[in-house]
Amino acid sequence: MGLIMLFACIHVPDFPVQAALRVDSAVSFKADAVAVLEGPESLLKVFACNGAARRAGISPGMAKTQVEACPQVVLHKRVVEHEETAQSALLDCGYGFSPRVESTSPGTITIDLSGTERLLGAQTKIGEQLVRRAEACRLEVNVALAANPDAALHAARGFTGITVIAPGKEARRLACLPVEVLQPPAELLDALDSWGIRDFQSLAALPVIPLTQRLGQQGLHLQRLARGEVQRELVPAEPAAAFRESMELEEPVELLEPLAFVLNRLLEQVTARLAARSLATDHVHVELGLEAHVDRLLRAEPALAAPALKYQRTLKLPVPTQDAKVLLKLLQLDLAAHPPQAPVKKIAVEAFPARVRFGQAGLFQPLAPEPAKLEITMARLRATVGEKDQEGRARVGFPAVLDSHKPQSFQVLPLNAEREAAGKCITTTPKPRCVVRVFRPPLAATVELNCDVPVAIAFSGWKGKIKTASGPWRSNGAWWDKAEEWKHEEWDVELSITGGTGVYRIFRELPSERWFVEGMYD
Amino acid sequence: MASIAVIRTQIEHRLPGALSVRRHAPLETFPTGIAALDQQIGGVAQSMLTQICMPKEISSGKSAMLNSLMAQLTRREHFCALVDASDCFDPISAEVAGVDLSRVLWVRCGEWARYGEKKLKPLEQAFKAADILVQNGGFGLIAVDLGNIDERHIRKIPLTTWFRFARVIEKMPAALVFLATYPAAQSCAGMTLHMKSATPFWSRSVRASAQPHVRTLAELGCEVEIGRSRLRKPVESARPKFTAAPVWA
Repeated sequence: MGLIMLFACIHVPDFPVQAALRVDSAVSFKADAVAVLEGPESLLKVFACNGAARRAGISPGMAKTQVEACPQVVLHKRVVEHEETAQSALLDCGYGFSPRVESTSPGTITIDLSGTERLLGAQTKIGEQLVRRAEACRLEVNVALAANPDAALHAARGFTGITVIAPGKEARRLACLPVEVLQPPAELLDALDSWGIRDFQSLAALPVIPLTQRLGQQGLHLQRLARGEVQRELVPAEPAAAFRESMELEEPVELLEPLAFVLNRLLEQVTARLAARSLATDHVHVELGLEAHVDRLLRAEPALAAPALKYQRTLKLPVPTQDAKVLLKLLQLDLAAHPPQAPVKKIAVEAFPARVRFGQAGLFQPLAPEPAKLEITMARLRATVGEKDQEGRARVGFPAVLDSHKPQSFQVLPLNAEREAAGKCITTTPKPRCVVRVFRPPLAATVELNCDVPVAIAFSGWKGKIKTASGPWRSNGAWWDKAEEWKHEEWDVELSITGGTGVYRIFRELPSERWFVEGMYD
Repeated sequence: MASIAVIRTQIEHRLPGALSVRRHAPLETFPTGIAALDQQIGGVAQSMLTQICMPKEISSGKSAMLNSLMAQLTRREHFCALVDASDCFDPISAEVAGVDLSRVLWVRCGEWARYGEKKLKPLEQAFKAADILVQNGGFGLIAVDLGNIDERHIRKIPLTTWFRFARVIEKMPAALVFLATYPAAQSCAGMTLHMKSATPFWSRSVRASAQPHVRTLAELGCEVEIGRSRLRKPVESARPKFTAAPVWA
């Protein structure tokens, strides 16, 4: 017994309308009448409309002024980018079930599910899963499963809900569909209409030779389609390298709070698409289209030109995530720290996929901060203490000592899963060590010398004699680079301070001969 | 006339557990790595606020103690968070002290930073950061180093702030340690340690005539006074002592 072929077709009815409504949560596809307009601003015409709008008397090709006579109809301008995004989302739904997915036409995809029944369950269950997955991407779809891709395609276009066609029953199941579902050329449709052929059954019943004599090979192909006999190879689509969702706002947004609502919606869509393909993201790119208001009074000054029309922010995470809330919080904190300079008109979110990482903590291992939560915490800390110091080192992170003799050679790194896992294995038992409390930047000091040995010091309003001095300990480096060169003469000094003793590390910077207090031994 | 037993029953009926004694589970402790101190206090307790105090200009060993505690925790694969109000932590000496730096989240306060529209001072930054870290959870130790902040600023911190931290940390399996110049947390702290001025020991006899380059700092002799300990009643006469050797010793 040969392999039973199985194809599923997902069709989005009124695709341009649904694509427009994916970014407008206030309007319902089923309940509200919606029309999508296209054309120049002066001559906008209806490009597509949903069932409710058709019932209200709207049809494609109507002018905007005519549509406005029906106040209940919600109007949207066609944005091709939204349709492309919706098609990508639809493809992602398909990739969740099979790697062989064809982008058949805008709003329609065909999936090769041959051999997956044991993995995914009965055909009706597969259909239900496909509908649920599409609903997660905010699309209401018709799904059909059949033994050949074209039968599945026509069933999805013609029947609402889930349709399962058993092998060999294609012609009978498709019989009642109107000929328009085949989308024949206009002249063929006219010819069939003049013969009284209006459904698949009538077309399938026509004798083959006379039909070919009158309509040619095209007519014969249409008849074979109506009989559900055409078996063709799928043309698989290439999976997208990034997941992009965008939205153009009718009114520009000035505050971060309303912007967060829009971002939340886009991030939810992106993460749903990622989840559909069992992927996560560790790199999110946000592009904000700004509405520039050029002040007429400032036009004379070329230096004060209009602000940039695009504002971009990139978010990099140490651990891939599928959680839209985590991404939203991080973006909110990032945008609060770096707000756009003008009202936002357009928002685009692009997530670059990464594999989901699963970690199994040990039973007896102590609690560790959850990576996604820790990332938010670090972002909140950065918002509190700042991002970088004067030397360009991060203010929040995990310190790492650099392989250099230069004083204060360290860096502060963000959380890195690999680095964390690698964690140093310290075998010797640590013992109390006297550490240095560093003054950043070093405190300028005035030092009195006797035979080149410090005997008195004054710094930060304190002045006193040095009880004991140990040194000098000379060090230098980077002599090959004038900008980076350093040359120090270090001393450890004991000072009598009210209430006790302070042991400080001081140094003389060479060749400037200036003295500084680097830190205190504690 | 209602007897006490009746009143008691009525109260317990309306407010269950109002009159019953709350029994706390014995608190776990983290050893500081300083044997003399661990013998006396049993280590730094989880779910409790601990304060270590000393004037800021004097070498006392408070940072040595904190680094030793962090070394012990990171050795046990705990994560530590260090809120550094004056950005004085030295990763190089901490690494020598045995701290696994990849398990230490370092928050460097210090300079004025923007937070929304207003600017925060280092002390405000430190408390806000500590608050964020306590909310995050997952850390074995949250240390806040206010050791370089003037005593007069520490005194201004309202007692309610300390009380709030003490209450929040009660429910968490983490130790909250404050290094401060003044014991401002008062009774909110489960343990208060007063560091005494350290005695530096030099490698050669200290004489004015001795050549300075032939002597090095050999160690700091430190002494701790246990001001308050909720876990064990401190013995007044006991003043644990320890020595902290520098990096090169």
